[in-house]
Amino acid sequence: MESWHLPDEDLRRYGERTLAPPVLWSVEAHLTACADCRDRLAAGQPGLARDGWARLDAELDAPVPGVVERLLTRAGVAEHTARLLAATPVLRLSWLAAVVSTLALTAVLAAVLHPVVFLAAAPLLPVCGVALSFGPRADPTYEIAVVAPMHTFRLLLLRCVAVLSATTALSAVASLALPDVGLAALGWFLPALTLTLLTLALTARLGPVLAAAGVALGWIAVVAATRGAGAGGSAVFVPAGQLASAVAAVLAAVILARIHRAFESPRRFR
Amino acid sequence: MTVAAATSVVQASGLTLRYGRTAALTDVSFTLYDGVTGLLGPNGAGKTTLLRIVATALPPDRGTLSVLGADPRTPAGRLAVRRRLGYLPQDPGFHPGFTAFEFVDYVAILKELTDRRARHQEVRRVLDAVGLAGQRGRRIRALSGGMRQRVALAAALVGDPDLLVLDEPTVGLDPEQRLRFREVIAELGEGRSVLLSTHQTEEVMALCQRVVVLDGGTVRFEGTPAELAAHARGRVWTSGARVRGALASWRAGDGRYRNVGDPPADAELLEPTVEDGYLLLIDGPADEETGLVHEETGPALGETGR
Repeated sequence: MESWHLPDEDLRRYGERTLAPPVLWSVEAHLTACADCRDRLAAGQPGLARDGWARLDAELDAPVPGVVERLLTRAGVAEHTARLLAATPVLRLSWLAAVVSTLALTAVLAAVLHPVVFLAAAPLLPVCGVALSFGPRADPTYEIAVVAPMHTFRLLLLRCVAVLSATTALSAVASLALPDVGLAALGWFLPALTLTLLTLALTARLGPVLAAAGVALGWIAVVAATRGAGAGGSAVFVPAGQLASAVAAVLAAVILARIHRAFESPRRFR
Repeated sequence: MTVAAATSVVQASGLTLRYGRTAALTDVSFTLYDGVTGLLGPNGAGKTTLLRIVATALPPDRGTLSVLGADPRTPAGRLAVRRRLGYLPQDPGFHPGFTAFEFVDYVAILKELTDRRARHQEVRRVLDAVGLAGQRGRRIRALSGGMRQRVALAAALVGDPDLLVLDEPTVGLDPEQRLRFREVIAELGEGRSVLLSTHQTEEVMALCQRVVVLDGGTVRFEGTPAELAAHARGRVWTSGARVRGALASWRAGDGRYRNVGDPPADAELLEPTVEDGYLLLIDGPADEETGLVHEETGPALGETGR
C-alpha cells in the first residue's frame, strides 16, 4: 500500500486531462500502484473509466509514426503537420538515399575535377524535390488534396520547406568534403533558395515538372556562361554573384506571394 | 397530400470547358437535389470533367455554378464548398505504404481536422461506416480492389459532408463487391446528396432517384429513371427473329429477340427499361427531336425516395 496519496487538485486535473508532463507521468505512475487514489478518481469522475477504455482502444489502432514523422515531431513540428509531411513523396527514404548518393558522387567529382561540379549540382536537388513533391504525376493523392479545404498553396509550401531543409542539411554535410575553397564552399546555399522559389513561382503557370526543368536548364546555362571566376569556378559563387542571387530570391518570393491564388486553379498542374 | 418542393443542392448553367481544341463540355445545365443522382453516359461523355467541376477540382471556362449555395469561382465560395464536400475520384490514389487508418487520417488532416483525438475518432467512425472496422490496421497494398475503394469512400466521408461526388465508384469491382458497395452508397444517400457517375444503367436503376444523361459533352436528359424508361415506351418490342432495321436487336434469355427502335404496326410491344430509354437517347435522333434536353422540373419531397 502506498504511504502517500495524490492531492485532490492533481486528481481533478488528471480527470479533466489538463495535467501536463512530468506531473502527468508522476500521477499515472502513482495511480498504477495506489488502489485508494484510483477509487477516489473513479468516485470523482464516474465516466473516466469508460473514457479510459475508449481512449486505450483508440490508441491501439492509431497509426504508429514512421521514422520521418518521429524525427519531425521531435524537431517541434506539430503532429498533424508531421503526418502531412510524412506523405510527401520526396521525403521517403528512397528519395533521401538518392540525394545522399548524388551529393557523395558530386563531392568526389569536385575533389577530382573542380569544386564547381558540387556547387552547381547542389542547388538542383531541391528543384528536383519541388518537381517531385506535388502534382498529379508525383502525388497519388493529388486530386483528393486539391479539393480538400486545406489550401493547396500551403500544402505545397510545407512540402517545399521540408525538401529544402532536408537537402540543405545534407548538402551542408557534403560541403565539408570539398577541397579548400574557403567560404565559396557554401556558395550553393543562396542559389538553392533562389532556384526553389523560382520553380515555385513558375509552377503556378507551367506545372511543377516543366517549371523545374526550365529553372534547371537556366541555372546550368548561367553557371556555364559565368565560368572561371573565383575559387568556386563561376561568378555566381563570388560575393557579387551571391548578392544577385539573394535579390533574385526576394523577387521570386514577392512574385510568389502575389500569385499564390493561382495554385487554387489546378488545371495548370499537368 | 401537400408535397413541398425540394431544394436544389447544385445548380449548373451553361458550363463549358475545352481541353485545347477538344470540347469536353458544351453548355451543360442541370440541377441536383437531395438523394442519389446518377450521371449516366458512355465513356468520353464528359462525366469525369463535370464531376471535377462540381467538386471544385477544375474551373469551367464558361457558365455559372452554385454548389451548396456557394459560388466555387470565388476563393471563399470554393472553401465553403470544400468544407461540406466528399469526393471520390475515378482513380483514387493511395500512398501504398499507409494502412487504411493512416490514409484516412491523412485525408482528415487535409480536411482541417487537426486535433488528434477528435480526428482519430472520426477516422474510426467512417471506416466503420463502410464496413472496414476490422481492416483499419492493414496496409492498403494488401487490400483487395473493393476494400481499397471502400477506404477511398471512407476518406470522402470524413467530416460528414453534405454532398458526396463519386466518380464511377463501382468500376472494376466484382458483382459481389458491387452489390456491397451499392448498399453502402444507398445508405449514404439517406440524409445527404450523392452525385455519382456511371456507364451502367443497372446502377442507375438500383441506386438513383434522379438521372442526368451526358453524351458528347452535352446533357441529353434530366429526370427520374422512370421518365428515362418512359422515353422508350412504344418503341420496344419482341420478335421471333432478329430485326435488321432496329436500333438494337438482341436475343433475350427467353430465346426471343428484344428490339429497340421504330416498331412495325403489328409489333408485340414490351415494357421499356432504363436501358432502352438510354439506348434510344444515345443512339437515337438528335436533341431537338427528343425534346428531353434540360428538363427543368425538379422533384418534390416524397418523389426522391427519401
